[in-house]
This record gives sequence, structure tokens and C-alpha cells, in this order.
Amino acid sequence: MTNNGSPVHTAEVVSPGMVLTVTQVCQSCKVDRVWISEMVSQGVLEPEGQSETEWQFNALHIRRIAIARRLERDFSLNAPGIALALQLLDEIEALRARLRSLEPARKGD
Amino acid sequence: MEFKDYYKILGVERSASQDEIKRAYRKLARKYHPDLNKDAGAEVRFKEIGEAYDVLGDAEKRAAYDQLGADYAAGQEFRPPPNWSFEFSTSGVGPDHDFSDFFETLFGRGRQSGGFSSRSQQFRSREFQERGEDHHARIVIDLADAINGAARSVTLRTPQLDENGLRTMRSRTLNVKIPKGVTDGQQIRLKGQGAPGIGGGPPGDLYLTVEFAPDPLYRIDGSDVYLDLPVAPWEAALGASVNTPTPSGPVNLKIPAGSGQGRKLRVKGRGIPSNPPGDFYAVLQIALPPANTAEARAVYEEMARKLAFDPRAKFGGK
Repeated sequence: MTNNGSPVHTAEVVSPGMVLTVTQVCQSCKVDRVWISEMVSQGVLEPEGQSETEWQFNALHIRRIAIARRLERDFSLNAPGIALALQLLDEIEALRARLRSLEPARKGD
Repeated sequence: MEFKDYYKILGVERSASQDEIKRAYRKLARKYHPDLNKDAGAEVRFKEIGEAYDVLGDAEKRAAYDQLGADYAAGQEFRPPPNWSFEFSTSGVGPDHDFSDFFETLFGRGRQSGGFSSRSQQFRSREFQERGEDHHARIVIDLADAINGAARSVTLRTPQLDENGLRTMRSRTLNVKIPKGVTDGQQIRLKGQGAPGIGGGPPGDLYLTVEFAPDPLYRIDGSDVYLDLPVAPWEAALGASVNTPTPSGPVNLKIPAGSGQGRKLRVKGRGIPSNPPGDFYAVLQIALPPANTAEARAVYEEMARKLAFDPRAKFGGK
């Protein structure tokens, strides 16, 4: 399903173990440190490390930030609103996963 | 070009107040936002709603649309009147929007509001260098793609500014080699395929979040794959060897004697070949033969007579 003649770009799997500094995260997601700080203080992002200079984000944070930014933009959410929405989304995702794992047993009831 | 009925899209009357329009938009946006709604088609609907609100939520654009659209119905062939032009008095649409041809014919492409172009020129004059932004998109693949790896072409529409500061949507198609072993929700990265850098800075990366299209046979949980495997009552009771499909080819699965409904049988390492590889689970579904012949009925009757079997024993006679 590719166009003939065009180069093929090989995608690399982003490992959850990949670690980014706050500067790299800001650069990747075009956000500023104040915004990241706010998300950390709301518990939306949970980097390793005590102080801002020591913060280490894993690559999965990038996806979380992208979702947070879209929710912020599309619903004019403030920081606590983003935190609440993401927490509810996490819960829905966990429930869906649980539902998937229970589906075989459920059918047998 | 088809006429788009923005009122219908937002589900409001043509006489709706600006407040009603805003309310309808917000409700629909929450319902169809692609981060909240995982249904296929939600994203398209969300864009459509956004476009409708961009027009109807703005009094000026709404008036222009009403004037043009009074005689049209949704889906009807639409031609803008000759010499039609619309000047934005406000800043116009933002760079993140990707609107239809119908919208662009009526309202043109939005003039960039912020100082992005002037800012980037300023950066250039000071020889400022900055790495380009990373872009994010989704890619839907089949289970077989995750098992074998696959090449897929992905079309991305990204906003860009031309030399006049006008927003244009640039379409580009990328051929992407998807490594085998990716799982649902996982991210894959294409280096250098994000936004171009500023002032000669390096480009950003493109992150694709992998989503699986629903599979008719298998269920996927992380890197594990589940299959409902129908078995006959005697296969479950007496044990059997059953030819069973798995995503990476059929296996002969040994059903232990005395297996019950819903029993999970694992084939290690036969799930998605991620690191570590997932497992394959066959979930036994006991299928009952119909009692639709005299012979079949006789067998059931014999079982009823000879087996001391109480399927409701756990009720304790209540």
C-alpha cells in the first residue's frame, strides 16, 4: 500500500524507557516550562526526579502532553480541567482494558 | 462542490441565537472529540463540527453564509456567486484547522493572526536557530501488520504559511515501514518528519500513535491475543487436539480432558512479537449440538438418564 518510487521511512518504536529532560520535552511539544511545571503540580505529568532540573520524563509523556494540549485548545480548559479530563480518560481506558479481559468469561455466564 | 448545511451539522435552527449555537457546538465537540471518542469517524465529524462553528459562531461569517446559503440544501451542488469575496475583519482561522473546500471557497484561507511569520523572519535576521516542532498523528493498522511488520502510506495534512503569510494546508504522503511487534496505543517515531526547523534548525519528529482496526477473529490486549475457540462438549470433556488459527499461523492445540466453558489455554509467545513477545490465548466456548433429529434427541435423553448431573448444584437447592 505504498506509492512506488517514494522513499520508505522506517519508524522506530518509542520505548517507554526512553528518557527526556524538561528542555527536550518543551522543544518536542512546543510548550514552555511554566506549563510543564503546572502540569506536574496538578499531577498530570509525573516525571522522575525531585527538582525541575532533575526531572526526567519518559517518552509516553509526549503522548499525554499532546492530548492535554488538544483538550486545552479545543475546550478552553484550565490546568485543573485538563487534570480532571485526563484522569477520567485514564479511568475509561483502564475500564475498557478490564472489559476486554473479562469478555470471554462474560460470554460464558 | 456540495453545499454544507452548517445549521444541520450543529443540529440548530436557522433562527438559533449565538448562545444556542455555542451551546450546541460545545456539546457536540465533547461528544466527538477524537481524544474522547474512539469510534471511527469521530475525528471527521469533529472537524465538520469545528468548521460549522467557525462560521456560525462568528456573526460576520454567519451573515455572509446566510445570505449565500438561503436557497441551498445540504448536499446540493453549490457554486459561489461571481465576484464573491470575503474579507476577514478579525484575525481569521488558526493554523490548526483543516477545513473543507466548501469553506475555503467561501471564506478563503485564513490569514495567519499571530506574528509567526514576522517572528520567524526576526529569528532569521538574528540567526536564531530552533528545532522544529514534533508532529503527532494516528495510524490504524491490522493485527497482521503488527505480527509481520508492514509498509503503509500515510497522508498528512499540515498547516503551513506561504510567503504572503496565508495559511495553506499542505498534503504529503509518507511511506512508513511499521516495525513488527507494535501494540495498540504504542508510539512509533519518524525522525525528521515533523515541522521544519527555524533558521536552519533541525526538523522535528513525527510521532504516530498506533491503533488497531477491530479484528473479526481475535481480541487484542496489550501484546496478548485472544481467540474464542468453539469446541464440542465431548472435546471439552474427553480432551482433544484441535487445529486452531493464531495470527502467525495455525497450531494444534491440545484440549485437556475435563475442560470447562471459558477455560483459557495459553500458547506462549504466539501473540504480538513485541519485546517481550505476547502470548496467544484460546478461550474455550462449548458449542451444543442441536437436538434436531431423533438420534440426537436419543443421545441427549440417554445422557439425562445416565449422568447424575445437576448444572445448578451451586444454588444448593434454593
